[in-house]
Amino acid sequence: MDPTVTTSLTVSLIAISVIFTVLIVLIYTIKLLVRLIPYEEPPAQKITSAALPKTSPSNISPDIISAITSVMATHLGKSPQEFHITQINPK
Amino acid sequence: MELTFGNAATKIIGSTGFSSLTLGDGTMILVACVLLYLAIWKKFEPLLLLPIGFGCLLANLPLSMMASTDSGGLLNFFYQGVKHEILPPLVFLGVGALTDFGPLLANPSTLLLGAAAQIGVYTTLVGAVFLGFNLKEASAIGIIGGADGPTSIFIASKLAPHLLAPIAVAAYSYMSLVPLIQPPIMRWLTTAEERKIKMEQLKPISQTVKIIFPVVVTIVCCLMLPGVTPLLGMLMLGNLFRESGVTARLHETAETHLINIVTILLALAVGSSMTADSFLRLETIKIIILGLLAFCMATAGGVIFAKIMSKLSGGKINPLIGSAGVSAVPMAARVSQKVGAEEDQSNFLLMHAMGPNVAGVIGSAVAAGVFISLFGDPTVVSNHAEISTNVVSTISALSK
Repeated sequence: MDPTVTTSLTVSLIAISVIFTVLIVLIYTIKLLVRLIPYEEPPAQKITSAALPKTSPSNISPDIISAITSVMATHLGKSPQEFHITQINPK
Repeated sequence: MELTFGNAATKIIGSTGFSSLTLGDGTMILVACVLLYLAIWKKFEPLLLLPIGFGCLLANLPLSMMASTDSGGLLNFFYQGVKHEILPPLVFLGVGALTDFGPLLANPSTLLLGAAAQIGVYTTLVGAVFLGFNLKEASAIGIIGGADGPTSIFIASKLAPHLLAPIAVAAYSYMSLVPLIQPPIMRWLTTAEERKIKMEQLKPISQTVKIIFPVVVTIVCCLMLPGVTPLLGMLMLGNLFRESGVTARLHETAETHLINIVTILLALAVGSSMTADSFLRLETIKIIILGLLAFCMATAGGVIFAKIMSKLSGGKINPLIGSAGVSAVPMAARVSQKVGAEEDQSNFLLMHAMGPNVAGVIGSAVAAGVFISLFGDPTVVSNHAEISTNVVSTISALSK
């Protein structure tokens, strides 16, 4: 085999090992941080009538509904299957 | 000199660009028009392809002095920002300000997907060596697989500046084609059952962790791979602007005006390097083919690794999120969501895919750092030091 190709294979192996090593170090660092500083629930806010939905999501693109559902699920800490968006009130 | 009608007309005709127009210039003007068409009518990464295309157009108008190599020309000044590695890190500053690392922090194991997708970089490196490129050139071509435009430009300007134009065009063109390139590979490598896997909801993350994260990443990664500091340092600074909550004005500037201005300068500078001499070569065709290979292998690497993680976790991970390990943010994550929703409308993968997607940004920056450690030229640092000394002495002289 051409020595340059052999060198490129060696470089690839070394480089991918370095990337995995650096990112594994980061994974454990993040896990340590998350364990040391756990999430605290913010105080609950009252829902006012102004927050009531007005627009039907039927005319909104599914991509937007997916994005809103994902963000809401993350924010509420619930599964997307546990709630359903019925109306959206655009600004 | 006596100015007769005849010699005045000859002189004016001689001074027009038409008199110096070559076949190469004409072809490159056509290439520029194709890029503009793709950007405006096909909406392929218009924010980048439009200024790149226009920069290419300007650079190939004879006698306009707009090519990156025309010393003293306008775009030559812009090109200094690429040559001296100023503009790509500034783009990363804006990207950092725009990025929420929350999904990654909530599921840190997705960082492995960002690493796995870099397999595309290395298979392309080997492929490039097979096609006759040397190791530095092959590394610069391989980084296209990271699906990260600024990183590709950064590495190309460091390791293979003569290949900057085709590498940048290939990187941005294929990034815009992610929604077309990735889905067939994702469907081919996964079963319908795997695509239907619903993942557990991500846990919320403390704001303090989000603030500490960019500082820790900078210390850990930049100590391990100092070559990556300009890119990763700026990415993390931008993110710290966002998460700290005390630099609202800097955050707003970085994520809007700064990144927009730098994108214009960077794209015009790249376009100005697309002259007939540098672009109309056999190497360009090879790079375009290798770029496609890089994207396909990166997608496949991410999906295959996600499949392995899915098996090891007892089916808790949907393999489709693996394709988001390439760093085209957030397009690759949207593709994971779309392909997952095709199988099951109630499957929401977007936030889960954002984890590997932002991990891909870090992964490709780390891959770049490895290349700089292996092939980087240490004299560049001394050249920069020399330039700074010259600038300081010029300013001192002017102030006197």
